[in-house]
Amino acid sequence: MTTRATMGSDAKPGAALPGAVALLGWILALLAPIYAWTVWKAPLDDVQGVMQKILYVHPPLAYGAYLGFVVTAIAGGLFLWRGRERDDLLAIAAAEVGTIFCTLMLVTGPIWARGAWGPGNWWVWDARLTLTLLLWFVYLAYLLLRSFTEGDERAARFASIYGIVGVVLIPLNYWIIDLVGGRAQHPENIERGSLGPGMGLPFVVGNLTLFFAFAYLLLLRWHTAIEEAGRVNGEEPKDAA
Amino acid sequence: MSRLRLAGTGVAKRFGRVAALAGIDFEIEPGESVAILGANGAGKSTWLRILAGLAKPSDGRFVAELAEGSARTALSREQLRGRVGYVGHATLLSGELTARENLVFAARLHGRRPSRAEQDALLAELGLAELADRRVSTLSRGTAQRVSIARGVVHEPDVLLLDEPFTGLDEVAAARLSRQLSRLRARGCSLVVITHDPQRAVELADRALLLHRGRLRGATRRSEGEAFGAPALRDALVRLAREDEANAEAGAGRGAGERDGAGRERDTNGDRGERAGTPERGA
Amino acid sequence: MNVALALLWKDLLCEWRSRDRLVAMIVFSILVVVVFQFAWPAAPKEQTEALAPGVLWVIYLFAALLGLGRTFTLELENDALTALALAPGTRGFIFLGKAAASFVLIAAVQAMTAFVFALFFRLDWLDAAGGLALVVALADVAIVSVGTLFSAMSARSRFREVLLPVLLIPSLIPVLASAVRATAATLGGEALTLAALQPLVVIAGIYAILGFLLFDPVLDE
Repeated sequence: MTTRATMGSDAKPGAALPGAVALLGWILALLAPIYAWTVWKAPLDDVQGVMQKILYVHPPLAYGAYLGFVVTAIAGGLFLWRGRERDDLLAIAAAEVGTIFCTLMLVTGPIWARGAWGPGNWWVWDARLTLTLLLWFVYLAYLLLRSFTEGDERAARFASIYGIVGVVLIPLNYWIIDLVGGRAQHPENIERGSLGPGMGLPFVVGNLTLFFAFAYLLLLRWHTAIEEAGRVNGEEPKDAA
Repeated sequence: MSRLRLAGTGVAKRFGRVAALAGIDFEIEPGESVAILGANGAGKSTWLRILAGLAKPSDGRFVAELAEGSARTALSREQLRGRVGYVGHATLLSGELTARENLVFAARLHGRRPSRAEQDALLAELGLAELADRRVSTLSRGTAQRVSIARGVVHEPDVLLLDEPFTGLDEVAAARLSRQLSRLRARGCSLVVITHDPQRAVELADRALLLHRGRLRGATRRSEGEAFGAPALRDALVRLAREDEANAEAGAGRGAGERDGAGRERDTNGDRGERAGTPERGA
Repeated sequence: MNVALALLWKDLLCEWRSRDRLVAMIVFSILVVVVFQFAWPAAPKEQTEALAPGVLWVIYLFAALLGLGRTFTLELENDALTALALAPGTRGFIFLGKAAASFVLIAAVQAMTAFVFALFFRLDWLDAAGGLALVVALADVAIVSVGTLFSAMSARSRFREVLLPVLLIPSLIPVLASAVRATAATLGGEALTLAALQPLVVIAGIYAILGFLLFDPVLDE
């Protein structure tokens, strides 16, 4: 059976995508135990004790959180420009995965802060913390906008616009909060080179693992969405032909 | 005389679960008036909105050209909007403004400032002279519809696009509107009119196109004689409706899923039931 | 530009005839001033002066949200929004006209609110009125820019009363932060320096450009 390729956006269903998903999955499966092992083996911090090990989780999460929004904005921009449904599906995937990373970052941060800064110090209105919270709200607004807007195509268009405004908003906010807020409390471990002996390796592996986790989840989500859209648009999955 | 030519190949409009147009080829030559007939949800309004420069096709190619002798200049969507008039289901008018103010506003949106005399002439042409300074929210449906048409032609478009202009009008008002539209056409503004009334189609157009489920399923023109008559067009519409019924009975099967009007019932939670854009046999 | 002016004229004329946005915003603002009178009782004058800029801006923010929420819902009646979408040329000018009309309305309400606020809380703002007006005007450019863009988007959605604040407030936090600071400086008798206004100028500029450029697809179908 030949189906006419009427769907401009799905003219080439990206044969490379399933391959990339599988490859990333294997890399992740390989890295995850190494990551767990290095974190387990890493020396205990003299002052902060086991709490310091959040360092191997928390900063790498930032990649996903911020990168997710950059991808959302770029994919949204491409969608506005070319009008292809696949670009919009990528934007959704990035927003969803980014939201997960951002949420985890917001959860792990205060746990560490409570441990390091003492009881009652879950949160400070430091530039970076405020910014992450704002980013989370922008994600939330993005997802709400998508689900409340009537009409799928309109939702995609509006979300793309919001994604672009959002990605401009983040550095703008950082600048203003820094200007207005003043004191920074968020640790700057890496810049100061304060990683103790033996802490470097798990930190690097952690960054790597979570980066691959982000890429894997993003492509997996995107691939699933494309498949689903293809089915809806009446294109039979390949193996059914 | 109109110089605007509107043509498309494989023009489709679909997104997610909704497929309003499944890929149509058409040519509307300068000065030609066309009626688009079809059942509810056939994709007529979507097509008209693409012609108006309001919507972008999701697939295929749509060109608007200005014909100058043998030379043709392609228009951008922004330019096209300045060349067509559009009358929608709703009146597109501001209720707080008077008929005259609505016209002046619409003209200014098109970069024009009609003189008082020009305003009066247009208002009189559509039988609105006495009602010019009443707020639109106080006008009857039929009168508001005429103001809406005045709004559509205030910038002297090449083509006036009308989406079911006779809906909600009584027989007298509809006949009157039809006469006024014929007069506009005689004056050189061609019409593209959506209607489900074959009689009006024959009155106003040189050619009739049958749209069914997002596809073009028939075309006749005035020179074809009887095929262009109201009875023949009505028969064609009935045939398509019967075909639908037969398909539906044939088993709520795979091909019967495309019901784009109903496809608009949306469910944001991703429960994608409707199969849109299924290729049809012999389309 | 003609398009923007035509739209400004139309919006203000409609508002003059119905006055619904203006009345709603003024009543809301004055009510909140009164509420604060009770929620924040008899503080020493220095405390009142220190808190005033923040409180004033909270009122401004929510009054603006109230007004912006109606900018495009008015156009849904008779599908007048489509008439705007039909205008030839760049739709950025539609954005400008809408934003300008909101600016006029919001600024008028804010001036009245400031007057009532100063009166009720016995603050002497007369000397600082010029500086305050400048700060408020700059912040308003930023507010109506993103406000117009987002209200055009939220107008056609379900739960638009909830959606607009959710979309808008994250982008208004930098505006609020810099406006409160500049307002406090002005009311504290400091001369307005370019450095104090710089954040507002930058934000207003960025938001206005974004709104102008991104408005076109909002009106597409």
